[in-house]
Amino acid sequence: MTAAARAAAAVCLAWLAVCAACFALFRLTPGDPAAIYADRAGVAGAQITAELRAAWGLDHPPATQFADWLLRALGGDAGLSFEDRRPIADDFARRLPWSAAVGAGGLALGVVLAVALGFAAALRPGGPADWASRALAVMAQALPAFAVGLVVLWVVAVEARLIRPLTAQGGDRLVLPILLVALFSAGSLARVVRAAFAEVRAAQWFRTALAKGLSARAALWSHGARHMTLSLIASLVPEAAWVVGGTAVAEIVFGVPGLSERVVAAVAARDYPVLQAYAALVAALMLTVRLAARLTIRRLDPRPAA
Amino acid sequence: MKHFLVRGMLALGLAFAPVAAAAQDRPVVTVGQTFIAAGLDPAEGSVGWALTTHGVAEKLFTVARDGRVVPQLAFGAERTGERSWTVTLAEGRVFSDGAPVTAAAVADALNRTGEANPAARASAGRLSVTATGPLSVAIATERPTPVLPSVLAEWAMPIYRMTESGPVFTGPYAVAAFEPGARMRLIPNPHYPRAGERPEIDLIRIADAQTLALGMMAGEFDLAFNLPAQMLPMLASRKEITVKSFPVEYQYMMWMNTRGGPLADPAVRQAIDRAIDRAALARAVRAGVPATGAFAARFPFAAEAGTPHDPAAAAALLDAAGWTMGADGRRAKDGVPLALTLWAYPQRPDLITFQPVIRAALEALGIAVETRVTEAATDTARSGAFDLLLWAQHTAPAGDPAFFLSLFLGSTGANNYSGWSDPAFDAILAQLSAEGDADRRIALAREAQARVAEEAPVAFLLTPEWHVGLSARLADYEPWGSDYYIIRDDFALGLGR
Repeated sequence: MTAAARAAAAVCLAWLAVCAACFALFRLTPGDPAAIYADRAGVAGAQITAELRAAWGLDHPPATQFADWLLRALGGDAGLSFEDRRPIADDFARRLPWSAAVGAGGLALGVVLAVALGFAAALRPGGPADWASRALAVMAQALPAFAVGLVVLWVVAVEARLIRPLTAQGGDRLVLPILLVALFSAGSLARVVRAAFAEVRAAQWFRTALAKGLSARAALWSHGARHMTLSLIASLVPEAAWVVGGTAVAEIVFGVPGLSERVVAAVAARDYPVLQAYAALVAALMLTVRLAARLTIRRLDPRPAA
Repeated sequence: MKHFLVRGMLALGLAFAPVAAAAQDRPVVTVGQTFIAAGLDPAEGSVGWALTTHGVAEKLFTVARDGRVVPQLAFGAERTGERSWTVTLAEGRVFSDGAPVTAAAVADALNRTGEANPAARASAGRLSVTATGPLSVAIATERPTPVLPSVLAEWAMPIYRMTESGPVFTGPYAVAAFEPGARMRLIPNPHYPRAGERPEIDLIRIADAQTLALGMMAGEFDLAFNLPAQMLPMLASRKEITVKSFPVEYQYMMWMNTRGGPLADPAVRQAIDRAIDRAALARAVRAGVPATGAFAARFPFAAEAGTPHDPAAAAALLDAAGWTMGADGRRAKDGVPLALTLWAYPQRPDLITFQPVIRAALEALGIAVETRVTEAATDTARSGAFDLLLWAQHTAPAGDPAFFLSLFLGSTGANNYSGWSDPAFDAILAQLSAEGDADRRIALAREAQARVAEEAPVAFLLTPEWHVGLSARLADYEPWGSDYYIIRDDFALGLGR
């Protein structure tokens, strides 16, 4: 088996394990979805609840339910939501562009900010960029994103009235959510970038680069960019996991009709098919990101693999 | 992933494509609320409710502002047998595509929904509807009901016509563009009276109520529905915003587990009922009025007077029941301390706010109270593993008192969480279930509530108030009917000119 095939097999197995664990976890969470639905609809009663459980397949053994779900999911069918009996794939297809725009846009902006800040901080330790990157990193650790999001909304939309983030069509609705995700990603990534450039700057060979007549800025960038990129990619894997959660917060705070907002409602309703589809999607995304990062690092790193 | 993205982008783009042209010559009112329809088919989930509250769907009967059940698309209903009724339709009613509302269309809609949606079978079982004339349908109910108009006023019963492009409804507004669960563009139904006086509506879901309030303050909404009470002082400082608070039909209550322990004794339950200061609860959540019984005051069958706050009488009841006060300030009987657990659930934050207020009141009476929170309120309620359980419930969703009283308090009620069984109450319920006369039903509903107050298996606490933010051009809007009737035929009338 080639290395690529082994890696692909490992990713598939990991995805399956995550899906199975989530399946079990959702069913161990207190709350019967049929009873919750019946209560909300004002149709409570043992007969109605039993009817719903049968219609939703919850009267089958859990192993059968999981196998049914897996077979359908592998065929591209995520099933129907308990709550509204609509195809989850269609719902997710409508919502995914919003979430992808917030998550990927926020992370991309965060990376750009991080590289700029981190590079400037490494060039001038203790300077404004160093201070700003540290402040951003501490803010991301200390302040809840939800509260920061509300403050941003207050300042930008209520006081300054710069944009209409809740009712505009399309792009304007994405500005603040992307900004929030970027702000919370940029600090820690900037510190990683700064540390990578600082390592380069402290290396003996960096003096040789300066001796060739390059400015500190040019020498640091031309000789440190690859090292920084490797460090940055390695740190993007855990950061991507945060971005999934951060995107959820941004969607709720700014009223973006993305996936996360749908999932929060599904948790309250114990809408297993929606939760399962989301878990499977996020697991696939995270495993793909991890694999892509590994492959990229292997390609960029000139040192032989251990 | 790519497949998802492409389909999603297309959906977003196409969903609002027809709106741009339509929006040019008619004013648009922007409404923000924390929910929006997930689909347009009333046979699915709670879509019927959502479309009714959006002003799109209508039913044969509806609940008026004063709580009475009144005809909407129907002219009247007559009982023709134990399980059979004849409903006559109003003349001249039209779907938003111009097709007339006929008996055949009504039968098709109700039969289709009844087959697919359990909510449509909850009160009288399956309804079999047959057109017997152009404007007349015969309805056979699976279970007898003396109040079919109330059943037909339930949210699961909209009248619609299936077309190739989807269901078409009869309400004052029609759907022009729709992003399920997120946004809806409504245009006046051209066949509804006074259509020319209505503006278009841009209906947007904002999941978080605080965000909704900030959006109102930013001038993004003309109407923001159900604002959080803690944001009201900030909203009040904006002179361009009018905030209206209105009592809703949800009732806050506290179940008392009568199955065993101290709460099996009616005297203890009555004492607890009297020890609670409802006005203090209203102050704690900054909105609401003390409940007089199971139903909000707007309903004609609401009880006229609630349980008085009387700590002295409560103490006397406990003394007489043998729960005497010890030197430590705690009551006990035969060496057993009077200690109770009080549960609430976070999905209704007001109930969590109630917990310390109620605990303080009961501890002042000598009752030890431990407060707990559950994420799975229904499971806790059904398990019977509680002493006191705070609860929120819409007690008359279709304007009928029998729904709540039988489902939650009848001996065999599916949601009899307190485990209370009282032959006298069941006898009143039996009369109520068989009675067709409206005035007599009111009297029986009040009699049933009086019996509940005597036995106190539940303490009715508060009729909460909700808050609506309004821009200057909607300042005359009067909210009523909880979240069942937000966009009505009188909504923004005149702004479309």
